[in-house]
Amino acid sequence: MSLSRRVIVCLDVRDGRVVKGVQFEGLREVGDPVELAQHYERDGADEITFLDISATIDARATLFDLVRRTAEQLFIPLTVGGGIRTVDDIAAALRAGADKVSVNSAAVYSPEILAEGAARFGTQCIVASIDAKREGTSWRVYTSGGKRRTELDAIEWAHYCVAQGAGEILLTSIDQDGSRNGYDLALTHAVASTVTVPVIASGGAGVASHICDAIAIGAADAVLVAGILHDRVSTVGALKRALRDAGQSVRLVA
Amino acid sequence: MRITVFDYGAGNLHSLTKSLGGEGRDVTLVSNPQLALDTDVLILPGVGAFAPAVAAMAAARDIMRSALQAGLPCLGVCLGMQLLFESSDEGDGEGLAIFGGRVERLRAQHVPQIGWNDIEDVNDLLFARSSLRTAYYANSFVCRPTDPTVVTAWSTHDGDRFPAAVRAGNVVGVQFHPEKSSTPGVRFIEEFLQTC
Repeated sequence: MSLSRRVIVCLDVRDGRVVKGVQFEGLREVGDPVELAQHYERDGADEITFLDISATIDARATLFDLVRRTAEQLFIPLTVGGGIRTVDDIAAALRAGADKVSVNSAAVYSPEILAEGAARFGTQCIVASIDAKREGTSWRVYTSGGKRRTELDAIEWAHYCVAQGAGEILLTSIDQDGSRNGYDLALTHAVASTVTVPVIASGGAGVASHICDAIAIGAADAVLVAGILHDRVSTVGALKRALRDAGQSVRLVA
Repeated sequence: MRITVFDYGAGNLHSLTKSLGGEGRDVTLVSNPQLALDTDVLILPGVGAFAPAVAAMAAARDIMRSALQAGLPCLGVCLGMQLLFESSDEGDGEGLAIFGGRVERLRAQHVPQIGWNDIEDVNDLLFARSSLRTAYYANSFVCRPTDPTVVTAWSTHDGDRFPAAVRAGNVVGVQFHPEKSSTPGVRFIEEFLQTC
């Protein structure tokens, strides 16, 4: 046997509460992060990701306090991202109880954060988070929560991040995020079939078949899911049973 | 029961520390390797790199080795398991050599191995008692023991079969992260503490 395909639940956190954006706009609150994380572990989530979308520096302390409280109650991996700018930020997140840290804008503006983070803490805890938007036949990298366009090609950028020391790629389609129309399968496949590290498909899950497609067609190792779970359109258990029925290897909880 | 987690400056110890706790248990983090041996159970945690971890325990390496050989129960997790071997391709330094053999890079297309993998060919009751069949891994290196009979469970990543767990008396090493393997993983730790 080999590695199971993972269902990772993303909780967008702002000022210690969970919110979920639709195309990065129009935020609304959905619940307490620690309770939700535990709920999703019981339901069979393979990992939890906290994406901090707080705008202020003060919110850092709130976030790390939340990470600490969660790590003491959660016995599956926890990734923390959002606003990570320096290797010291990575150290602080890991010390607070994160198992992995995802880096997005900082990797674009100071790429050495990936190599330095990997050298200090190991590649397995450095996740390169890439927000990509389709432009014709390719995809452009955006930063700053999807607001700022860069000159980087998403596929080339993914390869560069892996060469620098990223142990995983979290690949979000800005076009699909919040649409519930399915993942960007072409984007996912273009990255997942050519890098040597696991790729997490993100943005667009609406029904279980989207998740099966991201893995079977997109070649993703894992999928990130948020809105359809928080809105109770589906459950982690139902998504994983659908994956199993589609012939994928998954971890099912009793 | 006094349980000591040897803190060599590695990452997240919160979940591990929490999973060791319970009634009548005194769990402490100790960064001095000599003082860490004044305990009933020693835990070698699992995040970091081989060379700095070995350097952190170098001053007490010989007495730590003697204590484990004399029967001090020990659970080594991930890198903590690798520290129980002689040496590593990942970095210089001398491991505890409780197990003969070397730590080598995974011979796989996808490295690091990140995710949940099946536990196979089990020969240790800790797995059955905890119902741990799939465990969470985050590693680029694995142990290659000279004596395969020390291996009590295996996993396979991209065709490379490697030891998931090893045992020598009360010294147990696991390549996966039980503290990140949900309820069965936490039960595995509990079973180890109850039976060691």
